[in-house]
Amino acid sequence: MVDLDKCELGGTHLKSSDFEKCKVLTTEWTPNLGYAWDNGVAIGRYLAELKEGKIIARICHKCRRILLPPRMFCELCFRPTDEWTYVEDTGVVNTFSIAYVNWDASRRGPKEPPLIPAVIEIDGATKSMGIMHMLGEVAPADVKIGMKVRAVWKKPEDRTGAITDILYFKPLRAASPKKRAAGKKR
Amino acid sequence: MAITEKISKTTTPTFWEGEIPVNYVYTYGLAGETFFRAIKDKGIFLGTRCDDCDVTFVPPKIYCDRCFEKLDTYIDVGTIGYVETFTVTFKNMDGSDKAKPRILAMIKIEGTDGGIIHYLEGIGIEEVSLGLPVQAIFKPKAQRKGGIEDIIGFGPLKR
Repeated sequence: MVDLDKCELGGTHLKSSDFEKCKVLTTEWTPNLGYAWDNGVAIGRYLAELKEGKIIARICHKCRRILLPPRMFCELCFRPTDEWTYVEDTGVVNTFSIAYVNWDASRRGPKEPPLIPAVIEIDGATKSMGIMHMLGEVAPADVKIGMKVRAVWKKPEDRTGAITDILYFKPLRAASPKKRAAGKKR
Repeated sequence: MAITEKISKTTTPTFWEGEIPVNYVYTYGLAGETFFRAIKDKGIFLGTRCDDCDVTFVPPKIYCDRCFEKLDTYIDVGTIGYVETFTVTFKNMDGSDKAKPRILAMIKIEGTDGGIIHYLEGIGIEEVSLGLPVQAIFKPKAQRKGGIEDIIGFGPLKR
């Protein structure tokens, strides 16, 4: 413990060791912060469709945007949105990060690969509309902005109606030259 | 323009359940540290006094909140007090029913201007009244950890 009067800004300076050696008395508590968040109409349907392996969006007829994640109200036109539409489970990397720490800021172990959270612009939705998810099956050095990716889904029986029903997005490898040629003929 | 879809069945709405993992370690501060150490080691309550303002703070403060004078002399204020106000709780923190209702009271410590909020023990709901003299009951010294739970509660005064 430090004398209050000798400190420029006052206060008591404590070190980790002061706690470990029980030099100061403390009270520990873990509040119960459980919550239930109302999904509402739009996110409720969105999650239900994820369980079916589909991604659904909402269309606004006035601004002609396809909103993803779906919402029942257009924030630009200030009016209710009009209809549902399915979009693809492919997209383009809008931005990404390489994380060497977990959600609680603990370091990932030496054998754990870094996490690559990314914003994916989903094909079929208005440009720049997308969802935040993880990238997988790709080395951090190979990730590029604009890279095409595809969702990797959980098995249907394991899906729970959550955004984690998509495990991650993996690079959409360019079709082989043979297939590309076949496509052109059509 | 289509009207926003409405939910008409009570079984339709879905919700997302989660938990926010938060825990903390609270330190009592200078005066609080002295206060709880006295409870832990000696089983007494300490207060600080401002002679200029004629105020005795329990739990102690390191400065007088009326004249801002620094207070660093701690005095033993005893463990006897009076019920200033009370309430009866029938529910636990999570909303479930308590097996037995408990009485929570603000105990004004005798001869001071402060008090401690704690349970009343060994006093029935019918026996509680404002001004009822009570006395602190401490846990055995070996079980005391330096916290408010070192006090079991306040019981009837035995002079």
